Amino acid sequence: MFASKRLQKELAKLHEKLPPGITLIRADDFSEWLMDIRVIDSNPLYQGEVYRLKFNFSQSYPIEAPEVVFVRDESHPIPWHPHVYSNGIICLDLLDRQGWSPVHNVESICVSLQSMLTSNTKKERPPGDENFVRYNTQRPRDINFVFHDKNV
Amino acid sequence: MPPGNEYAAEQLKNQGNAHFKNGEYEAAETLYSQAIQKNSKNPLLFTNRANARLKLEKWEGVIDDCIRSIELMKENMKAFFYLAQAQLSINHPNEALSSALMAYDLCTHSAQQTSNAATISALVLKCKKAKWDIRERERIRRRADLLAELEATLETEYKKDVDDIEARIEKQEVGRIEGQEEKEERKKEFEKKRDDLRTAFTLSDPEHLQKREVPDYLVDGITFEIMHDPVVTKNGRSYERATIIEHLKRSATDPLTREPLTIAELRPNIALKEACTEFMEQNSGWVYDCEDGEMDRDSRWAHLSSW
Repeated sequence: MFASKRLQKELAKLHEKLPPGITLIRADDFSEWLMDIRVIDSNPLYQGEVYRLKFNFSQSYPIEAPEVVFVRDESHPIPWHPHVYSNGIICLDLLDRQGWSPVHNVESICVSLQSMLTSNTKKERPPGDENFVRYNTQRPRDINFVFHDKNV
Repeated sequence: MPPGNEYAAEQLKNQGNAHFKNGEYEAAETLYSQAIQKNSKNPLLFTNRANARLKLEKWEGVIDDCIRSIELMKENMKAFFYLAQAQLSINHPNEALSSALMAYDLCTHSAQQTSNAATISALVLKCKKAKWDIRERERIRRRADLLAELEATLETEYKKDVDDIEARIEKQEVGRIEGQEEKEERKKEFEKKRDDLRTAFTLSDPEHLQKREVPDYLVDGITFEIMHDPVVTKNGRSYERATIIEHLKRSATDPLTREPLTIAELRPNIALKEACTEFMEQNSGWVYDCEDGEMDRDSRWAHLSSW
């Protein structure tokens, strides 16, 4: 398939120029990349923090969406957001099977997540976070999220 | 044909397919041959044998089988597809390209075979690249010949000058030191002329001057590669036919607007196609970055292999 060729081209572009607040951390192969994002404006929820995203690509990327999650380590917390579970799983329509479009790319996903955080004012987790985090065994891309509101 | 032969041929074909699946191409070829002896009117037996022979790299055999299969059935995508590969392997890229284009045409005009479009379109690109390679090699050879000839002329002249100076030293028309100095000067002159000539040749080579970048409007927004059969959607954006079809099979929506979109609603973008073709012809080999053997690793290739 064309996944590796397309990712090669995306990588070349990412090396050239990235929007403010987005950094390429690791892209050693064409199956897993790490990107860092931080919120640029003065939203107090996210000040001084940097979040790490892990992208996993299938052979069918970009026909299939990549799997994107926040990952936690000593210097990277999981951001507060009513659509981000405390284990890093993100509920965003463009990452969902139905909402994905092959014209999206790594950069546009980072920008979307960045603006999803920027516009948020609630220091909240999704309803049922504790149960979900404890009992979910599905891979993020196999979960059928119910989207409660369309404007986030 | 005696009664029962058709059935016997079918049995032999199925056995052949089983061997083919296991990678036993010699055995598969033998069984297909026996099937053809029982029933020489079935075009599928010929394409199956062609596929086995393709694996065995029996190119001439592949070509014969494909031609016989096409004689039996004109609209024969598989036969043209195998034929193109064999023709490419024996270094006949012109014939290979027209066969590959036939296969592509048949593929895009048939409703159920669209899943092969990407595989065949990769083969079309490979044929175009092979064609370009041959032209390019010829051009480089011609340039190299001319450069070598001109360099030789310069060198002959230089040697003649040196010989003249030596003769004058011998005859004591010039002093030894003076003569040596003159020889040094001739040598420098010769080297300068030769370097200038090489520079001129390098500069006149379009390969050195071209900006190696495909303009965005010729690039498919899904694969990020130059298009060769662009189709336009309802909102006016164009994509490569094979890749947008892959997307629409999963999700019948416009990639940009998410409005409903079906394969039947796609229209060829003829002017853009011509722009892409022209760009590829002028910008030659570097546009095609498909590596050799890439097609065979393609997983979608598998379903073309056996029936």
